[in-house]
Amino acid sequence: MVKNQSISLKNLSVKYPGSTAPQLKQMTAQADSGQIIGIVGNSRSGKTTLCQVLSGVIPTIISAKVSGTYTLNGHSPVDDWPAYNQLTGVVLQNPAGQLSGLADTVADEIAFDLINQGIQEAVITKRVNQAAMQMGLTAQLTQHPESLSGGQLQRLAIASAIATDPQILILDDPTSEMDPVGRQQFFNWLAGVKATTFIVSNEIDDLCEIADLIWVLQDGHLVAQGTPHQVFNHLSANWQLPAPTSFQLAQKMNWRLPTSDFPVNFQELREAIHATN
Amino acid sequence: MKMQGLNHANIWRFKLTTATMTLIPAAVGINYVAKALAEGLKLPVWLGSLGTFLASMLAGPVAGAISGFINNVIYGLTLSPISTVYAITSIGIGVAVGVLHAKGWFSSASRVFVSALIIAIVSAVISTPLNVIFWGGQTGIAWGDSLFALLVANHAPVWLASFIDEFVLDILDKVCVAYLAFFIYRQLPQRMVRFFGDDQQ
Amino acid sequence: MTDQRILSENSHPKPRWYNTIDPITKLLMILDFSLLSFSTHRLLLEAGFISVTFLLLLLSKVSPTTLKALGFSLFLILTMLVIQGLFYSKNQVVLLTILGVNFYKEGIIYAATLGSRVLVIILSTGFFMVTTSISENAKYLEQTGLSYRTIYLLMSVCYILPEMMRNMHKIQMAQKVRGTNPQKTLMQKLKSILPVLIPLVIKTLDQSMERSISLQLRGFNNPKRRALATPYHYRLAPLAHISLTMIAILLIGWQIWSKINLFL
Repeated sequence: MVKNQSISLKNLSVKYPGSTAPQLKQMTAQADSGQIIGIVGNSRSGKTTLCQVLSGVIPTIISAKVSGTYTLNGHSPVDDWPAYNQLTGVVLQNPAGQLSGLADTVADEIAFDLINQGIQEAVITKRVNQAAMQMGLTAQLTQHPESLSGGQLQRLAIASAIATDPQILILDDPTSEMDPVGRQQFFNWLAGVKATTFIVSNEIDDLCEIADLIWVLQDGHLVAQGTPHQVFNHLSANWQLPAPTSFQLAQKMNWRLPTSDFPVNFQELREAIHATN
Repeated sequence: MKMQGLNHANIWRFKLTTATMTLIPAAVGINYVAKALAEGLKLPVWLGSLGTFLASMLAGPVAGAISGFINNVIYGLTLSPISTVYAITSIGIGVAVGVLHAKGWFSSASRVFVSALIIAIVSAVISTPLNVIFWGGQTGIAWGDSLFALLVANHAPVWLASFIDEFVLDILDKVCVAYLAFFIYRQLPQRMVRFFGDDQQ
Repeated sequence: MTDQRILSENSHPKPRWYNTIDPITKLLMILDFSLLSFSTHRLLLEAGFISVTFLLLLLSKVSPTTLKALGFSLFLILTMLVIQGLFYSKNQVVLLTILGVNFYKEGIIYAATLGSRVLVIILSTGFFMVTTSISENAKYLEQTGLSYRTIYLLMSVCYILPEMMRNMHKIQMAQKVRGTNPQKTLMQKLKSILPVLIPLVIKTLDQSMERSISLQLRGFNNPKRRALATPYHYRLAPLAHISLTMIAILLIGWQIWSKINLFL
């Protein structure tokens, strides 16, 4: 992997004006382009702040004191934000707050980002249909966005974010209102995505299935980073994170991998059972 | 706090930032909902300027004035066409609140009362000519209009009768709205006050 | 509360005659009709304007919102007829006597004139309301060169309101479950709306913050943005704009001229 094509955070700290303690403290982390990075941690650990820094919302839109250096796929979110912004697709926590506010239909809503980029109408229609299909919203294209359920609104926000075919996806808890089937479909889809993806989620099991890396945040500190396997085999009770179901089950059954570690996802679980028997 | 730093020179400086652009429709929405709540509870006040008050307090007199203006235009085009002309009154209210807030007249409960009086006068002074032109001086609120009828029957000039009709309604309404806005503003999280008050893109 | 019809109108069946008139022409029509009704004192002419605007509305469609606006105004006009008929300062000639109470001709005519003007405004606005949709207006305004910021400012309220109303009902339901007592005094009543109003205001402002961030992330102020075409083809729009604006200028000029003449 070419050096400037990767993700690098060095001593990143963020502090809102008027707050006593920084929200992110001296974060240093690396990842490769095209990887899926799962960001976990309990509430107020700084996950949303990290997403806002990675997307450039901090400090471009929300003012805050940012120190340290960070580049994503060779770009800095700070230097030329409008240009950087065109490379990213961002889904915020509250899906209803992300509607453009002037769209009559789901199709118009997905088209919004594309219209803003001045893309030809014929191309827009094609991209809208593709994005809607990927998020299972084809049947809802002519419906009013207000008529959608919370989970559908989240899928709409994701469809809008991916319609522009971004290099970098930043998803802040994008499945919180989805039903189990919808969530499953989403993670299956995410596994095949080519873009560098940062995803905040509490769905530890799903993250272990698809993420290349897990970053654990606690009180603004990056307390662990590594593959799901590494992170959850060295889980600290302080982080207040549940272990993945595969891990818990294997631990109870003492199904170990050949390395004597416990499995964290389905694939590893199968290997462990195989190795034990 | 940001607001205390504002002085006479810069409260009029206005740039339609994206934050203000999304604040104004929300303020109009709050106006609608507050009015609906007041009607639902059969309160003798309108409360329909609560959002305008909050927009002025958060983002200054120009933002408040625009909120007031758009409020009446939207109201006029959807529910009650005549209310469009009272957009002038709403602009006046927005400006008055913004200036009073910037000058610190929303900082304590007793000062809020003075502010409410001034805003009620501003509102009634602008509304009276409109009431005379469109409704012969009436306000459309039963007990204010009975007062109007009484005054006119006793040969009071229409202008005076109409002003009194409007003012008695306004004073009650603006005192209620001013205290509601004062109370709600103090409950707003600091990050929100900073977000809408910041001079950002 | 809000007009569900205009808020949910998103399907485009085949265009009717009023779809070939552009939204700005319809707005100018409101202006011209209002100016016309204000430039005369003759009740017969006013009746003519009312009939024309009423006919426009009948030939398009009638919506419950327009009826509601009409009903409200008709009630006010009625009280105006009573108050002015009884107490108008220039009252001299008794027109009719009901239960020994005299209603005067001058006051009734004065109130009827004012009432007619109000009706003309309501009916012509009603025509605009029932024949345009929000997205049609938004697209057309953007095509005519208005910035997206301005359009958002003017139109997003129509989309925000239904959601606010839903939030309000949710909060109200929650409050009802908690069991609030019937309030008597104004102070008690005001206090009782605080538990509904405060969460609603904070939620709404929070949503605005989020929308402000999201719109920028989605690149709404990208200079490359291009307006979408409106769903209808409009006929003679430039001609209609020019002629209606000319009429408006002439009517205003005539009004000013006749006022000046009074002093000469």
